[in-house]
Amino acid sequence: MEESVKKLTAETIASISACKTVSELNDVRVKTLGKSGALTALLKGMKDVPPEKRPAAGKIVNDARETLEQAVSERQKALENEELLRKLSEERIDITIDSPLKNHGGLHPLSIMRNRIEEFFCSLGFVIADSPEIETDYYNFEALNIPADHPAREMQDTFFITENILLRSQTSSGQIRMMEKVKPPIKMLSPGRVFRSDEADATHSPVFHQVEGLVVDKGITMCDLKGILDLFAKKFFSNETKTRFRPSYFPFTEPSVEVDASCGKCGGKGCNVCKGTGWIEIMGAGMVNRNVLKNCGINPDEYTGFAFGCGLDRITNIIYGISDARIPFENDLRFLKQFN
Amino acid sequence: MKLSIEWLNDYVSTDGYTPEQLADKLLNIGFEVEEIIRLGEDIDRVVAGNITDIKKHPDADKLSVCSVDVGSETVTIVTGAKNVKAGDTVPVALDGATLPGGKVIKAAPLRGVMSYGMMCSGKELGVDNEVIDGAEVDGILILQAVAAGTDIKEVLRLNDTVLDVSVTANRPDCQSVYGMAREVAAVLGRKLKPLEIKYDTVSCELKPSVDIRDGACGRYTCQIIKDIKVQRSPQWMRDRLRKVGVRPINNVVDITNYVLFEVGQPLHAFDTEFVTDCGIIVRKAKAKESITALNSETYELTENMLVIADCKKPLAIAGVMGGEYSGVSEKTSAVLLEAAGFAKGSVRATSRALGLRSDSSARYEKGVDGMSVNVGRERALTLFHKLKAGKVTDSKASKELVSTSVKVIRTSADEISKLLGITVKSNAIEKILKSLQFDVQNEKDRLVITVPAFREDIDNYTDIAEEVIRFYGYDNIKSSFMPTAKSTAGGMDVRLSNLKLLKTLVSGLGAYEITTYSFIGKKSCDKLNLPQNSVLRRQIEILNPLGEEYSVMRTQLAHNMLTTVAYNLSKKNSDFRLFELGKTYIAKELPLSDLPAETDTLCMAFVGGKETFYTLKAAVCEILRKFALKPDKLEYCDKPYYHPGMSGEYFVDSKAFCSFGKVHPLVAKNYDIAENVYLCEMNLGGFIGKEIPQAKFAPLSKFQAVRRDLAVVVKDEIPVGLILQTLEQADELCVDAELFDVYKGEQIEKGYKSIALSFGLSAKDRTLTDDDITSAMKKILAALEQNCGAKLR
Repeated sequence: MEESVKKLTAETIASISACKTVSELNDVRVKTLGKSGALTALLKGMKDVPPEKRPAAGKIVNDARETLEQAVSERQKALENEELLRKLSEERIDITIDSPLKNHGGLHPLSIMRNRIEEFFCSLGFVIADSPEIETDYYNFEALNIPADHPAREMQDTFFITENILLRSQTSSGQIRMMEKVKPPIKMLSPGRVFRSDEADATHSPVFHQVEGLVVDKGITMCDLKGILDLFAKKFFSNETKTRFRPSYFPFTEPSVEVDASCGKCGGKGCNVCKGTGWIEIMGAGMVNRNVLKNCGINPDEYTGFAFGCGLDRITNIIYGISDARIPFENDLRFLKQFN
Repeated sequence: MKLSIEWLNDYVSTDGYTPEQLADKLLNIGFEVEEIIRLGEDIDRVVAGNITDIKKHPDADKLSVCSVDVGSETVTIVTGAKNVKAGDTVPVALDGATLPGGKVIKAAPLRGVMSYGMMCSGKELGVDNEVIDGAEVDGILILQAVAAGTDIKEVLRLNDTVLDVSVTANRPDCQSVYGMAREVAAVLGRKLKPLEIKYDTVSCELKPSVDIRDGACGRYTCQIIKDIKVQRSPQWMRDRLRKVGVRPINNVVDITNYVLFEVGQPLHAFDTEFVTDCGIIVRKAKAKESITALNSETYELTENMLVIADCKKPLAIAGVMGGEYSGVSEKTSAVLLEAAGFAKGSVRATSRALGLRSDSSARYEKGVDGMSVNVGRERALTLFHKLKAGKVTDSKASKELVSTSVKVIRTSADEISKLLGITVKSNAIEKILKSLQFDVQNEKDRLVITVPAFREDIDNYTDIAEEVIRFYGYDNIKSSFMPTAKSTAGGMDVRLSNLKLLKTLVSGLGAYEITTYSFIGKKSCDKLNLPQNSVLRRQIEILNPLGEEYSVMRTQLAHNMLTTVAYNLSKKNSDFRLFELGKTYIAKELPLSDLPAETDTLCMAFVGGKETFYTLKAAVCEILRKFALKPDKLEYCDKPYYHPGMSGEYFVDSKAFCSFGKVHPLVAKNYDIAENVYLCEMNLGGFIGKEIPQAKFAPLSKFQAVRRDLAVVVKDEIPVGLILQTLEQADELCVDAELFDVYKGEQIEKGYKSIALSFGLSAKDRTLTDDDITSAMKKILAALEQNCGAKLR
């Protein structure tokens, strides 16, 4: 009896190991451990064993059953695992294939940059304000200390609707409207669309956008102007960017400066981007002209202020490396998709 | 402005500074040098050579073989020129030389004889008789004897550099050599040499008079020069004029031009023969008056144009151009020299109206200060004397309507420092201002500054601060962060932040933002098939547009959108969504008497095979939902650029504010669009400025909703919207009703359709019982039948 159990156990373990699939294993299990299986038959043969030997024989058979059941179970786990691995490996796909995201949309690069600039100045306590694009002569010129015979008023620069109504040529008109309404302390930013009578070419557009900033308070100095523009240049170009002031002239500021940022491409050594100068002109700025303050009912002996204005399109084109001022207005999808 | 460094050196030494260094210095004080023009830059390795021997070429009848001493050596040059002989000095382009036009000369054999260069004609060197006599002969340019080996640029006087300086509008005083010399002297810390003013006068029987009859002429002076000998000006004067771009004419005209560029005062010389009684009258032109100017063109004048006249006729268009009739000719024996101040606005207006520009008008337009009239006249008289162009007489006349007042500014180093944000000591300020010819008195911490007459731009202490920092150096301005300013809360108003939100929302709906011009062509309305009486045709016109296609302000965004869609399709971009958020401009009345309304407008276009009316509608509804807009009705849209059966219009408070749908095939054709395009235009004016209501949390129901489906048959014309609305309102338990199928066909009677709906039934406070559900279903079916004539299928 013990012999035949041992033999059966050894044979069965060999068959278990030889099983290649779960169903083969099941067949082996049924053949040995099933109701009419070989081991079950041996157990049934127990009645022929003398009663005194039955406990020992029973133990032998039960031990064998336990051993075999465990072997089946282990083999089953191994086979299932193998099968899973096979399945996973069969499911392997080509991961280099792309499935384009449908219905992707995005903002125009001018909007992206405008948002960034607005966020930057909002965080510094600036209020964002908007003003009309179709303006009166007063807000666009006169209040900004641009006298009637100033060259900037020429027909060839400004689009006129009537003698007195025009398409604003600068967002500075918004400063006047703000200063008429709000008294210092003032920190404002007026982004918006402006118009100049220039034929569109690689560097000009008859429609473009400006971002104009204004601060009026007690004791505001040119160093404060420098401070904020330095910060701006570092934020929008790079941490290494330096700014420099060059004397210039605008009727609504005195002193007036052009603001240059060190060229990001060559770092100031001179390259094709900066035309060899190492600097890129980014905006005009200055201390608010006393006459402008007076025109808005602000006492220039009590308050001083600074203003700066930059071309949003220009900054956007510099930052994204857009080479032609006409491209952003063509709205080619292949262009629009590059910035989102 | 063209600034010759050689000319500049008459008044301030720039020794030791290269043109680049000088340009840098000028940039720091506010004068950008746009271009550094090196004369003769395109000529290299061309020297004067002396022909020592000339022989016939052994193998070519038409060629000669010359031995030419070029200073360092004697070279052999083969030439075909006939006009050279031994002993002549000629320009020689050596081996490796470059000539104007980029031509490079290389040593090469000519019919078997090596030629080590080329003798040049005037034309090959890019010069004419004006530059050097003999430059225009047929053959080689024969030079005056100069040492062999001398650089030809020296011989041709091309060893100068001209700076093209950009002068800002506030500095008309720097529109001249002398004006720039003042700045250069100040920035280099060198001495400004005075203008040479020296001449003798003789008496004269002609007695001029001046009568100014219009305020556009502030001052007018004139003086007679007699015994005029009209001839060519000396070489140096002609050279300088050419360098600043002026064609030399004759000594009299050249002197006036020379003074214009040297000190910035336009002058004019009249032949006294043609000025009746030498009596000058400055007046406005009379109606229908005309004048033939020096350019031989005849101009009709109008009553707002200023002229110089005698008692009979106009002699010149004031500040713009003289008359041909009274101009200087070879026969001229005496001239009346005008030096005057005309208002810049008047000169500009006249120049524009006539389409006539001159160096004089260009100068007057920028503004000529009161002092320069006298300086210019004196300088010109000196040159007449020096060049022996005529005898200066003591016959003169002048009139002055405005007297030059002396401007005095009282400020302090403290005041200036406070504006700049850095401390600049009063002695530093004094030094800078004095170098710029301001007079400064330091009175107990107060600076009393007398402004020189040529600085009309200086008004108050901020202008002084600018002068100081220009020279003190902007590099000294350090960054600070508004230590004295009050804190302010930044941010944007509701409208701006809603606009930003909307842009983000629409791009999230799969659309790319575009940006287009605010002005469009007047005929765009025709392309949109707008009827003649359409309000969208009330476009605001630009007086001076860049062209017809940019001539009116847009009243809608549809035109630019369809144009952009067509452009993208032509670039083979397909299946896309675009949007633009911009202003449209609607005039209350035309012509404009007041500023028009600028309306924030959204336009979207969905393009391509997968788009339908419903994909667009879903996007529109999402916007309405986001802004909590509840339209009170939806109707078919009758705008002519929409498909009448596939377009809708939403109304709020009975006002249409959003139209959307398929673009009308005829309009699509007008834009050459063959694809399906769905367009939406939304007027944001009614809601964009309003705060979006704060969202409030609704407790989540603990009780699961029961889903039910229902198919009903209704007449074709019953809109699904009505069925869904009826369903949702039929019972308070009914939620989330949606359509899942519309069926028409064999199973359904003609003229009817089957609508399959899905909806939920739920209560907030309990699990529904069978009775609840049965009762709700009954109510629903009853309502559907009553409102829509629906029968359960």
